[in-house]
Amino acid sequence: MTDQRPPGDLPGGEPGGLTCDEVRDLAASFVLGALTDSEMDAVREHLADCPETHDEFAELGAVVPALDAAVPLMEPPSGLRDRILAVAAADLDARRQVDASSAAPAPPVAAARTVAPRAAEPVGPSDVEPVAGPTPAAEPISIESARRRRPLTWLAGIAAVLAIVLLGAWNLSLQGQLNAAQTYQQQVASVLSAASQPGALTAVLAPPSGQGPNGIAAVTSDGKMRIAMRDLAPTTGDEVYEAWMILPNTPPAPVGGLTVGSDGSGFIEAGGVPAQPGLVLALTREPRPGMTAPSGDPVSVGTTTSTENSTG
Amino acid sequence: MSESSGPLPLRVATVADDADRAALERIARDELGALDDLYERYKTMAYSIAYRITNDAALAEDVVQEAFLGVWRNASRYVEGRGSVKTWLLSIVHHRAIDAVRRRRATVDLPERDDAPPPALRLPDLWGEVAANLDADEVRAALASLSDVQREALELAYFGGLTQTEIAERTGTPLGTVKSRMRLGLLAMREMLSP
Repeated sequence: MTDQRPPGDLPGGEPGGLTCDEVRDLAASFVLGALTDSEMDAVREHLADCPETHDEFAELGAVVPALDAAVPLMEPPSGLRDRILAVAAADLDARRQVDASSAAPAPPVAAARTVAPRAAEPVGPSDVEPVAGPTPAAEPISIESARRRRPLTWLAGIAAVLAIVLLGAWNLSLQGQLNAAQTYQQQVASVLSAASQPGALTAVLAPPSGQGPNGIAAVTSDGKMRIAMRDLAPTTGDEVYEAWMILPNTPPAPVGGLTVGSDGSGFIEAGGVPAQPGLVLALTREPRPGMTAPSGDPVSVGTTTSTENSTG
Repeated sequence: MSESSGPLPLRVATVADDADRAALERIARDELGALDDLYERYKTMAYSIAYRITNDAALAEDVVQEAFLGVWRNASRYVEGRGSVKTWLLSIVHHRAIDAVRRRRATVDLPERDDAPPPALRLPDLWGEVAANLDADEVRAALASLSDVQREALELAYFGGLTQTEIAERTGTPLGTVKSRMRLGLLAMREMLSP
């Protein structure tokens, strides 16, 4: 499989439709990821079936992960950790809820496999695992430091509690429940993403009395607002839920609306909202879109506060 | 230029590797604290790589979040023989970041790829182990020693997420020349970084 194909000759019996020479020509681009998906697949197919070892891939590929070591180091925003843990917690709760709802026992989590490292392994995709890749430069690691457990901050707590309450309230089919959980999880993650930005404000929206819709909102310093809500009654016809911002001594101003399906969750993203602590956010159910003033009492209300004074 | 050599020697396992594997096993048992541990260890590298590729703080955050959640959900899919947990984790970060910038460019021939790993990273990452203990200054010096056009080609491919054809178009260079620059650049770096 080493002969070069004459120009114009269509791919035939060559692995991946490529000759060995053609694959060698693509090796550098392949290890750098600089091919289209179809080209990558063709090379992979060739490597899987070709009896030649194609050492050029190992020779060139060995260097690629070193490129990560050249990256200037930057610390991520402090809120990112909370966001990741909050979403992971919500994900875990969703899985547990689904498991609990299922008649069949949940499949056991497979333990990490312990395959002995092999120093000389054929290069090829046939036994490639879903993810494998480069190793950036080593960084100092304090194991003891890394093992320290930290309590979840308020942000993680809010997301986890919301997810738990949400999931407990839902009475959907298993798949529907999972889909709804994932949807709400993504919405909460989006709000937390905004909440983690410097200068952002957050608000927990809750019904004025008793049970009802609740959720979480974030307003960034540039006036963008996201609200994730759950337990909303589905809208019908032209009905919408409208979000209002209420500044002191100022009539409510509409900031965005949404319709709600059977899953009861809703998400609003809008701009032009002042990042001002004490701003009241309210959600009302309106007979139609475009209302300039609330037609009834709010179903859920919250007041923005600064996250910087609350994170731990 | 080196024409030699065979695979570079593999590094030995470190204490950090053992701790990482232990953390991953705990993650596979749904222990949130283990995810926290792993994040604390690799947050800087992960975010730095994501930011280098996306050049967008918000997008880099999303990439890192997706990567760690990918680990959270797929810890049991890690295969020890393929390399370190660090390698695995950071490869996910790179993959997600490249996907993000390619989506941002709305390149027509790059469909959504779900959780597929980055194209360049589907090969055995035993390769990657060679780079684990390289000093950042060494690597930067090696990169700096390349010709401008070689360095440009490598960076557009690896950090820019461009295909060889896109690099050729962007730089106004014949495709064959782009391939040659990438190959010679990698070989030159290999020679400089080899022990």
